[in-house]
Amino acid sequence: MGRQPKSEADKVHDRIAVLRADRGVSRKELADAVGVHPQTIGYVERGDYSPSLALALRIARFFDLPVEAVFSLDPLPSLSEELLRRTS
Amino acid sequence: MSISPDQTYLARTFDDGRYDWARSRRVRRRAVLAEAALLVALVAVTLAAATTSEGWTTWYFVAWTAGMLGFIPLHSVLNLGIRGVFDRDSRSLDEHQQRLADRSHNAMGWPSMGLSFAAWTGAVAVVALTGHVALALCLGFLLWFTSGLLTYWHLAWTAPEEPADADL
Repeated sequence: MGRQPKSEADKVHDRIAVLRADRGVSRKELADAVGVHPQTIGYVERGDYSPSLALALRIARFFDLPVEAVFSLDPLPSLSEELLRRTS
Repeated sequence: MSISPDQTYLARTFDDGRYDWARSRRVRRRAVLAEAALLVALVAVTLAAATTSEGWTTWYFVAWTAGMLGFIPLHSVLNLGIRGVFDRDSRSLDEHQQRLADRSHNAMGWPSMGLSFAAWTGAVAVVALTGHVALALCLGFLLWFTSGLLTYWHLAWTAPEEPADADL
């Protein structure tokens, strides 16, 4: 089971909101696909809740991405920055 | 096999979007304060009645009935505010809701046990000091009832504000 982060250092960062916007997926659609309530996706996006490993893997599988592309212990750079870095 | 939480009829009611107004932190906290005030008032009325020679009187019965009836809408609002996580089937809860429920259970374990103990000792003390058995039972019931409500109050008070619209 996941948990609420106790401090900033304890937080799990994610790209769910960006990926949802990119794929045109609502919170409810993602929640239905991964088996949680829509507000839980909102809590994860907001950093109020660190998902369980199983939920993190299901979310990564939904976006067809490796889990480390969606979740990180360090703040994730924006996708445009990363794209620029890879192409330059 | 489905990984989604089972949506029972009760779970659908607690998740109904028509009750979003009850889920804001402000409404939840007001419901907690109102319930607590009502129960404190009922305990005070019970103790006041116990100090009289008549004990169980019509005015006490009216106050008790009004208090219990007033509790029903208050608790409905509070329970809608926390999506009924303590009352619905655990299979309808996802991992975050389960986590919130467990956290409140753990936080209120000892206070709840203390109130249950106070219910017994309070009832025994009222009988020993006044001889009013019916009022002793009422006092014991109120304190025992409150011990069961502590987890609801804790969750309603501490749960974070829900994220905005799920269709975003």
